[in-house]
Amino acid sequence: MIWKIILFLLISFVSIAGIAFPIVKNPQAWYEFPNIPGLEENAKIIFFHVPTAWLTLIAFLMSTVFSFKYLKNKNMDDDAKAYAAAQLGMVFCILATVTGAVWAKFAWGAFWSWDPRQTSIFALLLIYGALFALRSSIESEEKRATLSSVYSMIAFVTVPFFIFIMPRIMKGLHPGSADDTGAGPIVNFQMNSSMLFIFVLSLIGFTILYYWMWQVSYKSVIYRDKLNKNLIRG
Amino acid sequence: MESFLSNNSIYIVMIIVLIVWGGIFFYLLSLDKRIKNVEKEIKNGEQNEK
Repeated sequence: MIWKIILFLLISFVSIAGIAFPIVKNPQAWYEFPNIPGLEENAKIIFFHVPTAWLTLIAFLMSTVFSFKYLKNKNMDDDAKAYAAAQLGMVFCILATVTGAVWAKFAWGAFWSWDPRQTSIFALLLIYGALFALRSSIESEEKRATLSSVYSMIAFVTVPFFIFIMPRIMKGLHPGSADDTGAGPIVNFQMNSSMLFIFVLSLIGFTILYYWMWQVSYKSVIYRDKLNKNLIRG
Repeated sequence: MESFLSNNSIYIVMIIVLIVWGGIFFYLLSLDKRIKNVEKEIKNGEQNEK
């Protein structure tokens, strides 16, 4: 219960700070954010856009970990956990894409410009979209769990490449691209300590929120499975 | 509309926050549906036992 209260306080604080704290040229007070040329107020989107991308990574990683566990122990609960994590990863992947596109409209001039970052997240959406197509196409429970576990583990191999490597070695518009000079809004260079503090709080808050949603989600899947089995046997 | 938003970019932040909460809301809706189905099955199972 305590961590849920902490979550509420964290998300409230991040929402207030992320929207209301002023952006000034020379930040002095702890609540002032530095002005990043070319972004101005838009820079605050970082508190809400980056956590969605971060959760995509965490969720897909957890899906892989529990897929591995399922293959090792053949426990259907692990499959439910992997499935719930993959589902949440998909939700946050879509959110990262959409919020990124809205930000891109005002920072780069168009919703979609096939920037390496946008291309790679689109590929990720397709790869994990196929996981759900695979799951819904197999009737047998154990076969579905085994196949989707294997697929999920193979799919995660591509994630570091798409999230960390490709957008960094190719030229693009997103911060962190190969031709980024550091004059733009790169996280490490332009954020001051207050901005970084809120940013980290936001990451922590969203991670706890994800954990909560994941718990409720996999429990519902587990209970549904247990119930189905009892009904058939009974 | 576009020029208004680029002049008042705090509203873009608001739109982004709304999109994020909207996404989470729809996920919770689907989760709620799943749990309601489980509840229904439990109820049906209890009635069958009687």
